[in-house]
Amino acid sequence: MDVLKDIFTIHLVLSALRLASPIALVALGETFSERVGIINVGVEGTAVLGALISALVAYFTGSPWIALIAAPIAGGLAGGLHALWCIRFRANHVVSGIGINILVAGLALFITSSVWGWRGTSTYSDTINTWYITGAALVIIIVSQIFLFRTKWGLRLRVVGEKPEAADTAGINVHRTRYIYTILNGVLCGLAGAFFFNSVGRFTSGMVGGRGFIGIAAMVIGNYTPVGALGAALLFGFIDALQMRLQSFIPSQFSIMLPYLLTVLVLAFFIRRANVPAALGKHYVKQ
Amino acid sequence: MLKRSTLLREMGITLLSITLAFGIGAFIIWAAGFSVSAVFINLWKGAFGGKLAIGQTLTKATPIIFTSLSFLIAFRCGLFNIGAEGQMYIGAMVAAVVGAHLHLPIVLHVVACLAAGGLAGAFWGWIPGYLKAQRGVNEFVSTMMLSYVAIGFSDYLVAPRGPLHDDKYWANQTVRIAATAALPRILKPTQVSMALAVAIFFALLVWYYLFRTPAGYELRSVGLSPPAAEYGGIRIKRKLILALSLAGLLAGLAGSGEVLGTHFRFIGRFSPGYGWDGIAGGLIARAHPIGAIFAALLMGALRAGGMQVQRSGAAPGDIAAVLQGLVIFFIIAPTLVRTLIRWRRR
Amino acid sequence: MPEFAVEMRGIVKRFPGVVANDGIDFALQRGEIHGLLGENGAGKTVLMSVLYGLYRPNAGEIFINGTPHKHYSPATAIGLGIGMVHQHFMLVPRLTVAENIMLGQEPTKSGVLLDRDAAVQRIEEFSRQYGLPIDPNARVNQLPVGAQQRVEIIKALYRGADTLILDEPTSVLTEQEVEHLKAALMKLKEEGKSTVLITHKLREAIGMCDRITVLRKGTVVGTVNANETDERELAEMMVGRDVVFTVRRSQATGEPEIALQAKDIEACDDRGLLTLKGVSFDLRKYEILGIAGVQGNGQAELAEVLTGLRPLRSGSISLDGLNLTGKTARDFIAAGISHIPADRQLRGLVMNFSLRENAILGQHRVRPFTLSRFWQSQRAITNHTRRIIEAFGVQAPNTTTLAQNLSGGNQQRLIVGREFSKEPCVIIASQPTRGLDVGGIEYVREQLLKMRDQGAAVLLISMDLDEILMVSDRIAVMYDGQIVAIKDPEETNRRELGELMLSGSPSHAAGYKS
Repeated sequence: MDVLKDIFTIHLVLSALRLASPIALVALGETFSERVGIINVGVEGTAVLGALISALVAYFTGSPWIALIAAPIAGGLAGGLHALWCIRFRANHVVSGIGINILVAGLALFITSSVWGWRGTSTYSDTINTWYITGAALVIIIVSQIFLFRTKWGLRLRVVGEKPEAADTAGINVHRTRYIYTILNGVLCGLAGAFFFNSVGRFTSGMVGGRGFIGIAAMVIGNYTPVGALGAALLFGFIDALQMRLQSFIPSQFSIMLPYLLTVLVLAFFIRRANVPAALGKHYVKQ
Repeated sequence: MLKRSTLLREMGITLLSITLAFGIGAFIIWAAGFSVSAVFINLWKGAFGGKLAIGQTLTKATPIIFTSLSFLIAFRCGLFNIGAEGQMYIGAMVAAVVGAHLHLPIVLHVVACLAAGGLAGAFWGWIPGYLKAQRGVNEFVSTMMLSYVAIGFSDYLVAPRGPLHDDKYWANQTVRIAATAALPRILKPTQVSMALAVAIFFALLVWYYLFRTPAGYELRSVGLSPPAAEYGGIRIKRKLILALSLAGLLAGLAGSGEVLGTHFRFIGRFSPGYGWDGIAGGLIARAHPIGAIFAALLMGALRAGGMQVQRSGAAPGDIAAVLQGLVIFFIIAPTLVRTLIRWRRR
Repeated sequence: MPEFAVEMRGIVKRFPGVVANDGIDFALQRGEIHGLLGENGAGKTVLMSVLYGLYRPNAGEIFINGTPHKHYSPATAIGLGIGMVHQHFMLVPRLTVAENIMLGQEPTKSGVLLDRDAAVQRIEEFSRQYGLPIDPNARVNQLPVGAQQRVEIIKALYRGADTLILDEPTSVLTEQEVEHLKAALMKLKEEGKSTVLITHKLREAIGMCDRITVLRKGTVVGTVNANETDERELAEMMVGRDVVFTVRRSQATGEPEIALQAKDIEACDDRGLLTLKGVSFDLRKYEILGIAGVQGNGQAELAEVLTGLRPLRSGSISLDGLNLTGKTARDFIAAGISHIPADRQLRGLVMNFSLRENAILGQHRVRPFTLSRFWQSQRAITNHTRRIIEAFGVQAPNTTTLAQNLSGGNQQRLIVGREFSKEPCVIIASQPTRGLDVGGIEYVREQLLKMRDQGAAVLLISMDLDEILMVSDRIAVMYDGQIVAIKDPEETNRRELGELMLSGSPSHAAGYKS
């Protein structure tokens, strides 16, 4: 029993909330982009990019706050690239996302070796308190929930993902809407990346470690709503926090596996409701 | 099948994409303050400059042929297998155990190891396939997650005090496989082994399966149009499970080939990312099994060349990974290249 | 006020390989109902899409209320008072009527939050004013097709339309609903609105319009007053020759043994709602059994159940004494059931497969195409494809062309060829002529009759009542998941069938629910 007492403390709850925030940010971003019909599996790579740019900017400017601004901008650029590829060049959405992941993985190794001389790691820099990012994430999610279901922009973006031709005939610019929210997805993933950098103080190439993909899982479980995404992210954050505690009790290789294994189990056993946007992953061709 | 003219055009677009990617890569090298010529010369030297270099390229290409096939066979069924890395580890572990602890005559032992490794990989692919078919679990996420699980599990097995750790050495690895289980080297003194021939054989096999058998026909129809496949009396769920199992099988063979032909034992974290290279290879090959051989050669050449770039000090070797990412980006947007061609003609 | 609400001069619209509009002049008088008549592919919808700003014309001028306009978007068109009800409704099924209608012009509270109450109120006003009953809070996917059409019309009016374009509005309606639509259009006319009615049905054009413009192959054949013309003249203008629909049913000759037997079948739709509620019938050799009904009364599910694509909840299906209950599509195909699916591009063909590959879909595991698990005969497949191309007149450059590069009519010929060349004993044909031109329609109907004369049992599901009446030996009417009547085509008429389709009983006054 004492063991359990050691594990389940108030710190566990707090660290669950903290660790949930980057997953929630990714899940929220993906909710936006999938609601307009764009699948982006490049969220993992985008978060890595956010962390990498945070480290770079913090290293060169010495200011963690400038780094905090730079990360979402870099993420937004990655989102824009993805949108360009999916919309303008009609690439398969998943394939383009994979492309982002692989390109960023390569860039991360190349840039770290070039700048710091170590493959895949940066030096330590000043950071901000990650609770700022966690707090911001909570506020953004609540606002997003209202935005999506209670404002005209929310209605319009949902129609773009459900039936783009209906949006088009109502005078709504389908492509522009898709660009905006795919870029927004990138911005949120970049912010998630900044979280990872600030929680450690430096960049390492494995630091996101599949949490972007877990963010996609959280979006699925959250049924394409911001608040749902937060709920699912809290579950995964809790698993993550638990995993860190368990490291002192079971072999670390097993506790590290835990979040990944549980993600698959949760996906397999939760009852799915169907809010999948009807035009998800489809190219909209206008004559 | 593709007509010759279409085939030539597709190949032209592919080559142009690669050229464009290298152009952008050159810009990045220049912008990062390295010598563009030194990097490309060393890249070429490391990949094709002499027997050793070519051996290095072929050694790296061998597992990538398998993982490219793994990615593309699932892709042809409309699925994304991005967990080849983990399936490869599972296959490698099992092949190493069978190779070290089973006593069989020559040839038969190799076949047993390949079969066991392949089947183990197939099992690791079957799980997400089953979950996709029966529970609707997004295979993209599940193959990825299971990949992390597989790698973590292999770490545990070969770590000091782990059940498969070879206690004679400090390193995270198993004991050496029996001589009867080893694939012969075919380009001594390099590490190129018969695994390369096996890989090419499987590429031809996958081509035949996809384009010349009713089962392959069914798999491709499910990938292109599930409603039409269902209409044609094809059992979609079975095909989904089968496709991911076959993908796992091929990735498992990649790992087995590494154990039997390159390292002769299972080494913890032996892969520099062959599973990921397979995704790139499958995409660059436009999901064509024969194309996968050439795409894997390109990936292998980049890896071998990257090592030479690193050794020469011209730039970090990971520039090869950046080039790989850029190639993918141009390949996956065929309309981009076409737009550029049209724009030039204007 | 200028005389014309809309005037289009010399409109040219080209698509790769086709000239859809080749110098069209079109004028819409204020307050008239103007029919735009033509075959499929005559350029009617393209012309109106140009007017609505969806397509940019390659040449020509457009005057709206006397002012010239160039290169504008739907948003501008809406602002200029033009509204369009598309043939395929532009409604989001999962959203409510109010959300669909207000899209693009949403009333807000303090500029940010949606004001749903205000929208609902305005919609109810329109609904009353124009006699178009509708519930603003209902979800669109719960509404019957007729009600969805009313939503579309109100949507256009809500956006301030003075000129209303209706694209094939009657193709999904029963006789009675058409009457209600006509009444609504008259009401709109009284209010001073101008209407363009796109149609290919001659009778309706004459019955509902003031003037009719006929298009053929992208050009205007002429404009006539509706009360000074007749169907024969219009038909001649439309196709350029004297068309009498020549497909005529002859009496079948063979022994009408029972082929397919369905007993008390029940099945659910994709949402899990019970859609087939105990359907029983016998389908006999040497007959065509027509299934009439308003869309969404279980016909689509019936076709899927009878081809093994949808599981039964209860009941049984047997073919020549062979029990097919609970079997899969593969078993149904093996038993000799051919299927022309309603959605040819989604179900009938793999669009990215070549003609060769599509020609064996469903038979890909049997001789002569497949000789063993590991051996396909490429030559047999090619020969089979060539035979279909020749016998069924598929226009294609070669057998390796992708199905997506064929025109709709040729895609349908390919499917019909594939399904009929199996020598099936039962044919389930769902909307086999939808979207085809006159020649294609005639061809498919002839083929159906030919198969019947050879002894096949044909189940024909069609929205087109004329088609049902023309080729069926018996007509079953489906209403609310049941067969409510089986009629002899010689002893019934459109009126009676329409009442059955709408209310399930002939005596009952036609219900008109919102």
